[in-house]
Order: sequence, then structure tokens, then C-alpha cells
Amino acid sequence: MCGIIGYIGDKQAQPILLNCLGRLEYRGYDSCGIAISSNTINLFKDAVRVETLKNTTPQFSGTAGVGHTRWATHGEPSLVNAHPHLDCTARIAVVHNGIINNYECLKQQLTGEGHNFISETDTEVIVHLIEQYYHGNLEEALESALDDVEGSYAVIALAADEPKLVAARRDSPIIIGVGDRENYLASDVPAILDYTNRVIYLENGDIGIITADSIKIKRNGIQITPGEHKILWTVADAQKGGYEHFMLKEIHEQPKVIRDTLIGWLSRETVTDSTLPGETAAEAMLLLACGTSYHAALIGKYLAQDMLRIPVRAELASEFNYHSQTLTNTFTIAITQSGETADTLRAMKRSKEAGGKLVAITNVVGSTASRIADHTVFTRAGPEISVAATKSFMAQLMVLYWQMMSHARINTTRLSGLIAELRQLPSKTQQVLDNEDKIIEYARYLSGYENVFFIGRGINFPVALEGALKLKEISYIHAEGYAAGELKHGPFALLGHNTPVIAIAARDSTYDTMLTNMKEIKARGSPLMALVKEGDETVGKVADSIITVPQVDPIFSPVVNTVALQLLAYYTAKERGCPIDFPRNLAKSVTVE
Amino acid sequence: MKQAVILAAGEGQRLRPSTATKPKVMLTIADKPILQYVIEALAQNGIRNIVLVVGYWREQVFDYMGKGDRFGVKITYVIQERQVGTAQALAQTQDIVENEFLVLSGDNLISADTIARFSTQQPDAILVKRVDNPVRYGVVSINGGMVKHITEKPTEATSNIINTGIYVFTSKIFNSIERELDIPDVLNKILLQGHPITALETESTWLDVVYPWDILRLNNNILYQITASTSGTIESGVTLKGTVSVGKDTVIRSNSYIEGPVVIGAGCDIGPNVYLTAATSIGDNVVVSPFTQVKNSVIGSDISIGPGSIIQDSVIDRGCVIDGHFTAFSHQTEVKVDSEYHLVKIGAILGECCRLRSGVVAQPGAIIGNYCQIQELKLIGGRLPDRSLVY
Repeated sequence: MCGIIGYIGDKQAQPILLNCLGRLEYRGYDSCGIAISSNTINLFKDAVRVETLKNTTPQFSGTAGVGHTRWATHGEPSLVNAHPHLDCTARIAVVHNGIINNYECLKQQLTGEGHNFISETDTEVIVHLIEQYYHGNLEEALESALDDVEGSYAVIALAADEPKLVAARRDSPIIIGVGDRENYLASDVPAILDYTNRVIYLENGDIGIITADSIKIKRNGIQITPGEHKILWTVADAQKGGYEHFMLKEIHEQPKVIRDTLIGWLSRETVTDSTLPGETAAEAMLLLACGTSYHAALIGKYLAQDMLRIPVRAELASEFNYHSQTLTNTFTIAITQSGETADTLRAMKRSKEAGGKLVAITNVVGSTASRIADHTVFTRAGPEISVAATKSFMAQLMVLYWQMMSHARINTTRLSGLIAELRQLPSKTQQVLDNEDKIIEYARYLSGYENVFFIGRGINFPVALEGALKLKEISYIHAEGYAAGELKHGPFALLGHNTPVIAIAARDSTYDTMLTNMKEIKARGSPLMALVKEGDETVGKVADSIITVPQVDPIFSPVVNTVALQLLAYYTAKERGCPIDFPRNLAKSVTVE
Repeated sequence: MKQAVILAAGEGQRLRPSTATKPKVMLTIADKPILQYVIEALAQNGIRNIVLVVGYWREQVFDYMGKGDRFGVKITYVIQERQVGTAQALAQTQDIVENEFLVLSGDNLISADTIARFSTQQPDAILVKRVDNPVRYGVVSINGGMVKHITEKPTEATSNIINTGIYVFTSKIFNSIERELDIPDVLNKILLQGHPITALETESTWLDVVYPWDILRLNNNILYQITASTSGTIESGVTLKGTVSVGKDTVIRSNSYIEGPVVIGAGCDIGPNVYLTAATSIGDNVVVSPFTQVKNSVIGSDISIGPGSIIQDSVIDRGCVIDGHFTAFSHQTEVKVDSEYHLVKIGAILGECCRLRSGVVAQPGAIIGNYCQIQELKLIGGRLPDRSLVY
């Protein structure tokens, strides 16, 4: 999981590469580097952030180069393991995003033939393979090298003797940015938006060869003329505008995200959605996702059961890939913010091979997921920079509400009541944001602990998982989300006065049992905080502290509860002085399995 | 002049409930907060370097204004943690302002032509205006175009010329700000030291919002200046008269009758058989159900208004759900704000996210707090605090 960039044109490559790398840092930031060609290849890399590299790197002259920002998979973050990597003669440079599965055996073979490896990375085999096959034509050498390689890659190669960049992809994203007397290669679109908004998407197996004034793409050995896309959004959306962190800015954007999503479809005749099959088409539904998106999928499962009355499964895409059973007549919804999550993409391909309709929910137009799926619903979250997902999760939830409510098999009075509440939801979400004082106060208290449990029942069980995930990823507090009923099957042993429990008490059929669970927890001496609906007077007598959220129908309670827990995670991390937008060891979208 | 400092940290106590959860500069009329009108007027005059002093509920200013690129300006934020007066707010901007700059307040509506004339003044200068009720402002005594003294909220006004809170300064002003809380205190001090300050009088738009009914006054002023633009779907049999603006993805259903000026935002569902009259503004994502009449009112976003309702001279804040047969007739009435009584013609003022069951009747001048819940067939009046439950 890394970000890669390539530039060739009539300008100096170095400042352009460094600027683009800064925009790619969400994909990884444990080390970075650049290589610039001008008769020889000049290389500079280190285990630092791009901002630091900008100040430490010497000025290299040259109008072609490649760059890389890394999220370590093979080999710890260090100067030697940072990309770009060079061949033995230092005439060829390579940057790579992905994983080479057979690198151990290739490395042995190449070492046997006299190649000298200096890093622990899998990437280094690619550059030595190119060296092995290089006879003055980089494109042929890269193709031959990749024939030997098993795994996933987006790769850019540069040779000192040829004025061009050669790129290839398999299961990791890469795009070409089309400029005027210059061209770009990048892991994603925002990286190059400062320079051009004309983009070509490469497909799996494609080889792209760019020079300052030409673009050549080979697909299955034949040269093709690719379609050029014009990008209509700008990177301006992606600045912090007054806020200290992107995460808080994005949390605060949620009322607008919800409203924008609703306006698109509430205004139609009825709530309509053509992406789900008709009444009888599917016998079952499968939801596939990873990470935060998986929590959206779990909420989707409760919604679908409630609204559609069909059997629904929500699976972790990374595990689904190892399931052996076949799926017949199943309708699949895959959820991925970036549209590039490798595990989800693989699961999508598997379910597509098994037959049945496949819909993707993603935030990125032109992403791989949208090209695999039969139909794609684009969430209207806008670019999300903070590594911890907030508004994209909310946008995914809104799409799921839309899909499920438009096919709901429930009585119309309840449905129209729900739709009126849905209209109100942006303002209710704003209300959570406006009442953050209590949350900040509790965050101060929570920041002193090292272990926390989040519990929920029913549709709020996934919210407990999401609350725990947010807290652990940005505040580094060990947090676990549990179904409230499962706590007594083991985790009770961990409770005590050093382990606070955060309980989500929704006013639905789970309420009474939840109260019992809370009393059980109090009996074990754990500090107990409960998230309750405004006006609830019972829970406050059991819990040590409460945070109130606005009254909404139980099926919408995940929305207000999630926002409250996002704020709690944010302010707890802030209290602990954590680097909120760039938590250690994490990257925004994970394009390795 | 290319730079302006906008003071946007104020709270607007007397505007509650409308300002209980938002800064005064974010009060929204015809789909735009007041602050946006101010910024647009500046941008039209080529003043694009904006310093915003924010405080109370500043996140909402960040959320809406961002970096300013949507409005063609560049915004730099300065945070005033405690709202202790305009002079102290201004003092915070010392390190980022240029030699000459404009100072204005983000919650007063001002027209672009006023700024055009005033921004060419030699510093230091004050923009003044004649008003009917000068005692609630700073009254300015002037001699031959030069300011003599500013008297804040005098018990008896010596003239009806007041300070609009709009100034042209040079960065020298910062040397004069010591412990004074408000800008007029600083100016009175330098006037005594013999420093000249010119006064320019304006006759064009300058409106202040102090009381809830001022929102209606502002709405009137703005709506009579809009131009019509319709997107969305207008079904057959809809009558549009005067200036009517309809946002994208909005549906106006058959037999609705709309007499402008009326502004309707995006994603709304209006009608069938709805009667909207001047001057009404409706936000985004709003439902107005059949047989409802709305007259001279400001309706926020995310609101559902049930069938058969009558709403006149009223303000309804975001997120309210009103079941139906809601009645808010307008009448001349005495309304109490801060122990003062004001005689105004008004309907009802509703705070945000209120839930009204069917058949609720609001007496003229009723001020309902935020997040209130009112059960069926209740008669409400006077002032209800936030989170009231009426059974």
C-alpha cells in the first residue's frame, strides 16, 4: 500500500514530484523518495514524511522522474527499504505499489545470477528482473519482468538511457494525467489535479508508455486508443478551512453530506432506486466490505432484514475470499470508500463469477470497484483526507437507507413517518455537533484509560464496533466493540475500575435488556458511560455519566450515535496529543490484501 | 483597498432562540447566511482578502465558508476565544492585516455600492447612517464632515445619525488599542488627542438584526432584490407571479399558487395546492404539504410542514417537523425581549428541530425555543424555553 508518481515533460521534475507526493500521503507516509533522470539517475529517499524530504533533498536537475510514498508491507520503514529502488548499475529506477508473492524465489534466483540486493523489499526483484531483460528497450524489459512476477502491482519504471516512463498495473490502481508537452502517472487523481484535469484510467494488464508529448497504451499486446476523462472537481475541497484537523472538518461536514445525499433522491415521486432488483428477483442479499465500510454493511444488514424481509449476510471481504460455498441467486452489495480496497475487489470478482447481480457503493468515480460492478452508487461525501473515515461512512449509510427504504415491504404510514424523519436528519446531526461540550468533557476523562469496551445491541451493535475502531485508530487506546449480550461470555473477566464501558442505549426493543447489561457491568465496578436519547431518565440512574443524543426513530439511531462517538474519539485523541489525521502504521485505502 | 476585517464573533443574545445554536452571522435568509451577503458585497468591489474574526459557534462558519474559494475570496480565520468587544477582536488581527483595511461587522446587511463609495475614503473614516431609532446604537456627532464624538446607546439622542460599525483604518490604529473593549472607545480617545476621523453618510442599504422580527425585515429587503431563476420541476397548473426562484431537484406540484418574491431552495417538495406569498424564503430539503398557506415568512432547511397549515409573518428554524393544521396567524402584539416590550406585527418564531403534532395553534408573538415538543391540539403562546414538552 503506497502512493506512486511519475513525471516527464519540459519542466523540472523535482518540485512537481514532491508536491504530488504530498497529496498521496494518505496512502502511506512511513518513508518516501524520488529518482530523477538526466543521463544518470539521481536518487534521494529516507524514512521521513514528504514535508521533511522537501527540505533535506538536494536539488536534482532533470525533466523526468518518479516518486514514492510508502506504507510498509515487506521490510520495516527505513532508508534502504524506501522506494525508488535501483538496479545494480543504477541505470534503472522503479517505484511500486502492491505485493509480489513469489519474490523470495525470484530473489534467490537473481542473487544466484549475480544481482546484488540491498533492501528487504519485494519490489527490488522487479528492478533486477528489468535489468536482466534490458537490451535498450525499457518497455519490453518491463513486460518480460512482469511475466515472471506473481502478485499485485502498479509500477513505474525509468531508465537513464531512454526519455520515457513505462507503467503497468495488476490489481493496484494507476492513472495517466494528460498535460501539455508533459504527462503524468499517479496512483490516483487528486495527486495531479494541481497540474491537469485530463485523465486516462489504466486497466489490469495494461502497459502505458509516456513521453513528454506522447501516450501509448498496450492492452493484450495490441496498442489501443484510450478514452480520456475530464475531472470536474478540484483539490480546493480538500483544505482544512479553519479546522485544526481534517478529521474534525469532515465530522462537521456530515450534515451537509446527508442533506446532499437526500436531496438527490427524496425529491423524486417516491423513494425510488433502480439498483436493487424487483420484488422477486433475489432470494438473499450479501453485503461485502472491510474496516469501517464493514460496519456500514452490518447496519445495512439490520436495515435490509427490517425493511426487505429477506435473509441477509454481511461478510468481511477479506474473509469471504476463503469461503468455499457457492452463491446462487444472491444480490451482492460491495462497499468501499476508495473503490480500490484489494480484499473487497477480490471478493467482488468472486461473487460476480458465481452469478447474481453486483452493486458497488463507493466514493471514487472511475475506481476499480465501479468498473467491476454491474451498477455503482456513488456516495456524495467528497474527497476524504483524514485516515479515520467519518463522512464517507455516513454517506454509505445514507445510500443503504435509500436502497432499503425504496424497496421496503412495510406499511405506508410507518414509511412516510420515516421519510419525514429522514428529512430532519441533517439538522439532528447538526444538533449532535452543537452539543459537543459534554462529549469533550467525557473525552478528557476517557483519555486517562488504556482499555475501553463499547457495547451495543441490535442495529447499534455495529455502532459499538465503529466507536471502538475510531477510538483505537486515532487515540491508540485499546478499545473493543462487543455485542452487549456477549460480554458475559468471557470479557467480564477484564472488567474492573480501570476499564470503562461505553454503552449505547437505543430506545428500541433492546432497551430493557441493555439496562440489565448495564447493571451487570456496574456490579463489576467498571466506570460506565451511556449514550442515551434525550429525555431518558432511567439510564442516568444506572450509568456514571451520560451523553445525550437527539431523539430519532431507532432505525436512524446509528447516525446520531456514530457522530457522537466520532467526536468522542477525536477529542480523546486530541487530549492525548495524537497525530489525528495521520495515525501511525495506517493508510487511507488499503490496496494490498 | 484590497483587505477587509469582518467581525463575526458576536452572539446575538436578543435573537434567541435563533442564535442559541448558531452565530448571528450565520442566520440564513433566502438560502444564504448574512455573512455571505457581506462577503459577496466585498468581492464585487474587488476586496478579496478577508480576515474573519470568529468565536461563538465558529465551526459553523468554517463549515459554510471554508477557505472562501466558493465566494471568490481568500479567508483567513482569527479566533477570539472570549467575546470581550470589537476593539479586542480587531486587535487580534494586528499581525495579518495590511497597511490600509476596511472593518465591518458580519451581521449587518450592506450593499455593494455602499462599500464602493466608502472604501475609497481616506483613513481613518466611519460610515454613518440616519435611522429612526438611534438610541440603541452609537450616536455620532459630526461637524463639517468630521467626527466629534460617539455616544454609545444614549438615553436621549442628540441626532439620528448612528455609527454603522464600518470603518477604514490604517495599521496605526493598533497602537491606540489598549484596554478599551469596543472600537468607539478607542476612537473617542484618539479624537481627544486631536486625530481627525472623517464621517461618510450612506443612504443605501444597511440593516442590523437585533430582534427575531428583524429577520423578517431583512428577508423582505433581500427578497425584493433577487432575480428569478427556476430549476427543478414545475408541474402543469402551477401559477408563478412576480419574482420566484426555485432550486435544483425541487418539485412544485399542480395548482400551487406562488406570488413572489419567493425563494425556494434545493430538494424541496411543495404542493399540490400550496399558496406561498411575498416575501417568503424556504431553505433546502423542505416539504410543504397540500392546502398550506405561507405568507411573509422565513422557513429554514430540513423541515416538513403538514397539510392545511397557515403560517404568517413567522420564522421557522431548521429541522422542524409539523404534522398538519398548524396555525400561526399574524397580529399586532406586544412581545417581551429582555424585559422590554415591543409592539410588532408577527406570527410565531420556532426554534430548530421542534416537533409539532397536528392541530397546534400558536398565538401571535409566540417564541418557541429549540428542540421543543408540542402535542396535538395545544395552544401555545409567550416564550417557551429550549427543550420544552407541552402535553
